[in-house]
Amino acid sequence: MGVDDVPLDDKAKRMRDLLSSFYSPDPSMSSSSDTTSSSSKRTTLDDINSSSFDPDQYMNLLVHKSNLERLLQRHVEMAAEIKNLDTDLQMLVYENYNKFISATDTIKRMNSNIVGMESNMEQLLEKIMSVQSRSDGVNTSLFEKREHVEKLHRTRNLLRKVQFIYDLPARLGKCIKSEAYADAVRFYTGAMPIFKAYGDSSFQDCKRASEEAMAIIIKNLEGKLFSDSESIQARAEAAVLLKKLDFPVESLKARLLDKLAQSLADLQLKTEEISNASVDPKDLSQEESNPGSAPAATHEASVREFAEAIRAYRIIFPDSESQLIKLSQGVVTKHFEAVEEYVKKRICSTDLLHVLRIIWTDVLLMDEVLHEAALPNYSLEAAKVAVKQYVASTFSHLLHDISDSLTEVHVKQKEGVGEYSLQTALEASKRAVLQGSMDVLVDFRQIIEDNLELLVQLKPLIIDLVQEGFQDFFGALDDHFLLLSGGNNAVSQDQGFVEGTQVDKAFAGLVLVLAQVSVFIEQTAIPKITEEIAASFSGGGARGYEHGPAFVPGEICRIFRSAGEKFLHLYINMRTQRISLLLKKRFTTPNWVKHKEPREVHMFVDLFLQELEATGCEVKQILPEGLRRHRRNDSNGSTNSSRSNPLREEKLSRSSTQRARSQLLETHLAKLFKQKIEIFTKVEYTQESVVTTIVKLCLKSLQEFVRLQTFNRSGFQQIQLDIQFLRTPVKEIVEDQAVIDFLLDEVIVNASERCLDPIPLEPPILDRLIQAKLAKTRHQNPVTP
Amino acid sequence: MQGASSGIGYGLKYQARCISDVKADTDHTSFLTGTLSLKEENEVHLIRLSSGGNELICEGLFSHPNEIWDLASCPFDQRIFSTVYSTGEAYGAAIWQIPELYGELNSPQLERITSLDAHVGKIKGVLWWPSGRNDKLISIDEETLFLWSLDCSKKVAQVQSQESAGMLHNLSGGAWDPHDMNAVAAISESTTQFWDLRTMKKTNSIERAHIRNIDYNPKKKHILVTAEDESGIHIWDLRKPKVPIQELPGHAHWTWAVKCNPEQDRLILSAGTDSTVNLWLASSSTSDEFTTESLLDSPTRRIDPLLSSYSDYEDSVYGIAWSSREPWIFASLSYDGRVVVETVKALLSKK
Repeated sequence: MGVDDVPLDDKAKRMRDLLSSFYSPDPSMSSSSDTTSSSSKRTTLDDINSSSFDPDQYMNLLVHKSNLERLLQRHVEMAAEIKNLDTDLQMLVYENYNKFISATDTIKRMNSNIVGMESNMEQLLEKIMSVQSRSDGVNTSLFEKREHVEKLHRTRNLLRKVQFIYDLPARLGKCIKSEAYADAVRFYTGAMPIFKAYGDSSFQDCKRASEEAMAIIIKNLEGKLFSDSESIQARAEAAVLLKKLDFPVESLKARLLDKLAQSLADLQLKTEEISNASVDPKDLSQEESNPGSAPAATHEASVREFAEAIRAYRIIFPDSESQLIKLSQGVVTKHFEAVEEYVKKRICSTDLLHVLRIIWTDVLLMDEVLHEAALPNYSLEAAKVAVKQYVASTFSHLLHDISDSLTEVHVKQKEGVGEYSLQTALEASKRAVLQGSMDVLVDFRQIIEDNLELLVQLKPLIIDLVQEGFQDFFGALDDHFLLLSGGNNAVSQDQGFVEGTQVDKAFAGLVLVLAQVSVFIEQTAIPKITEEIAASFSGGGARGYEHGPAFVPGEICRIFRSAGEKFLHLYINMRTQRISLLLKKRFTTPNWVKHKEPREVHMFVDLFLQELEATGCEVKQILPEGLRRHRRNDSNGSTNSSRSNPLREEKLSRSSTQRARSQLLETHLAKLFKQKIEIFTKVEYTQESVVTTIVKLCLKSLQEFVRLQTFNRSGFQQIQLDIQFLRTPVKEIVEDQAVIDFLLDEVIVNASERCLDPIPLEPPILDRLIQAKLAKTRHQNPVTP
Repeated sequence: MQGASSGIGYGLKYQARCISDVKADTDHTSFLTGTLSLKEENEVHLIRLSSGGNELICEGLFSHPNEIWDLASCPFDQRIFSTVYSTGEAYGAAIWQIPELYGELNSPQLERITSLDAHVGKIKGVLWWPSGRNDKLISIDEETLFLWSLDCSKKVAQVQSQESAGMLHNLSGGAWDPHDMNAVAAISESTTQFWDLRTMKKTNSIERAHIRNIDYNPKKKHILVTAEDESGIHIWDLRKPKVPIQELPGHAHWTWAVKCNPEQDRLILSAGTDSTVNLWLASSSTSDEFTTESLLDSPTRRIDPLLSSYSDYEDSVYGIAWSSREPWIFASLSYDGRVVVETVKALLSKK
């Protein structure tokens, strides 16, 4: 409308908006964006321009808000605005009318212009038609010539090809001369389709000649492939070319790999040699002092060679990877098989380390060229197994050592070597246990502290293995101890009583040694080993924490404590059993009711004392000396009680059949008021305690045997005499004299109770007989050692 | 494990070795016991546990001519029992009957039904078939095994068959298989022999020395328990007589007697010369898979089989007997003549 460039005041702008909205049906379409936004901003009730304008409300608002003066002013404003609007409207109507008139004029003019156009168009069509017919004429006249030219061109190409084929043998020969095999192959493969099509007719000679040439080429290529002196690239190319010629490359590859595998066998042998060599400590030291020594060097060289070969083959035959991986894994497996074989023999950790190091260098070398084989991982797995075996075999050797040193006593005593071998056996087994364990630990520590990468990765595993190994080892040792005692037990029982004595003797000693060794393990060896393990084998963690540490010294201590006690009891039992047998014979053989008057102390007493002496001798070798003391009630493990009864003995002297009944009542009463004497107290690991326990058990047995018999007066007197004689020597060797006194008294009392006519020997006679016996023993003593 | 002194005591006048459950008495829990006194007049006591179970009542007191070494109550007649006695020089065995109306008599005499007087050697024991009425009776002396046929009404006993075990074997006791009327076990110095009573031939043996006492498991066939002097208690399966199926440590001194509970097949009672009575719970799997490994098995891996130890005795305990009427009650007899009746009900309920 030509008013755009005039700056509009607010009022004019509003006016224009209103007008435009009037013309367009949608107010938002016509108005520009900023006006809508501004108008929308003002869409309140007092906005007179909004579409939702409510005049009543507006009026109300205005009346409420404004004073009269303002209302009047507003009225004037509004009137002026309305007037303005009216004039504007009028102007618009005029303008539109003008435009309408000019439009009608234009249409009239256009109508008159169009009338001459049609004839012009018809003229144009005619001209174009003539141009087309002329061009067709030219085309047909040139067609024949063009065909001829094309034919000629084809013939020329064919001729060139024929020429090429005729030239092929010569060309190939040239290529052979210049060793340009690649070109030769290219030519030949190019000519191949023609030979295939016409080889039997027109180009027979040509084909034969070129085939001959190709045979030479293939041979040469093959030679190239097999020759190690050629560069790898050249060999790879040769392989590729051969493949292009449809030559069976696979078989070649197989042959090459076979060759490689054969060379591996050589490699393997060498490892064996090395491990064999290092079995001999001399060789080993030589090797270590001189690392460039022959076997190691040759081995490394051959491995290097092998690696090179792998590298070459990988390039030559890109698809041979899996086979190569298999091969190299085979090498590692064989290596570790050798190691496992080797571990079965007794080796120390340095040997193992040495071998592992060799293997690891091999593995690294191979890994360089054949990374996909994951050889380090593979060998890690294998090494795990090997180390596991090593640990297992080490412990089994240790177990073997200990058992050897233990059973030595058995063997030696059988051979009649001196009595003191018991002590030496104890010392030897103690040493075997402690020193052996320490050696094993040192060995393992060497492995752990080695910085060989292979082993560094295995470190947690090895720690766990060692801990587990110790745990299992001590379990096995306990089992073995049991077997040593139990197994022999069965044997001695099978042999029966006829020949059993000698075996028993050695064997009882062994049990005692076992008991003491168990104590030693519990009190000395385990703490030391625990310390050592804590120092250098802590933090395995491969087992997972919920299992806790594999090595539980507390448990082992407990096992060996109970084992020690068990063996000690077993020893006591064995000893007592022998004496029991003696006593049983003594009491079941004679007819006590018809016993003759006692003339001397019975010889069973001698045997009894002899047994005790033998026991004492064994015990002295093994157990420590205890404090000599009189024990009363300080025992806690007691299982029995009885009451001492000195009263009874007094009664005994004046006892008679008439008064026996009242006497029994009296003794019962007396018992009630006596202090309990513990008979079966806890055994301790001292010479005295063990001997005392045996004596106590035997005296109790004696008492029980007496109770099963019925005596006449002489029988009773014999018992009285024997017991009286026993009193002094037995008391000398025990630690608890009161109990022994009590038990000896009990025997006499029981004998009197089981006697039809209990009249004891007169003390002088008793004394005389005992003195006679003592004199006799003294007389014999210098003779028997 | 020290047993509480919950036991009910009863005192005999003299020393005694043997006590027996009166199995045929189904109305009361009663025991028979006899004294062992060389010089005094010996007595047989019939003891009854009061209905409240807190008192032992002497139901009958009978004088017995000689000291009693073995006593066994007849399993089908509560008034009949057998004794083995010694005059000091010679041994004898007899079947006795408790007189009727004994409560009204002042000093009732035992009726001697018959004497088993075919023995020459030292008689060790008389066996009744434990499982019920049977007119057979077995007596064992040092060398010979006698099978008697007993007729109580006619008061006669006849030797049906006898067989010598051999001079050297020195029999010391035995047990009659409750599962098989024809099988009996006899213990000797070095073996336990098993006899078939029909043929009077040895069928089997366990080569084991020093066995002191033997008892068949009344609930499980083929299982029996032996007590040995030094080496404790062993449980055997007769089908595998080479190796015991379980070992129990026994006592601090000899294990003198062993008795299986009549109802609980795993419960074993033992008495020892260390003046204790021990109650054991044998391993539950006394079957085939439980074999030799139990010997090598470390003790830590097993629970303690010792249920309880009763040590409230003054002297060696030689006699023990389970009550068959109330199988949680047992009576024990120590050498000083004290009978103690204990109940193991509390222990059993714990298990």
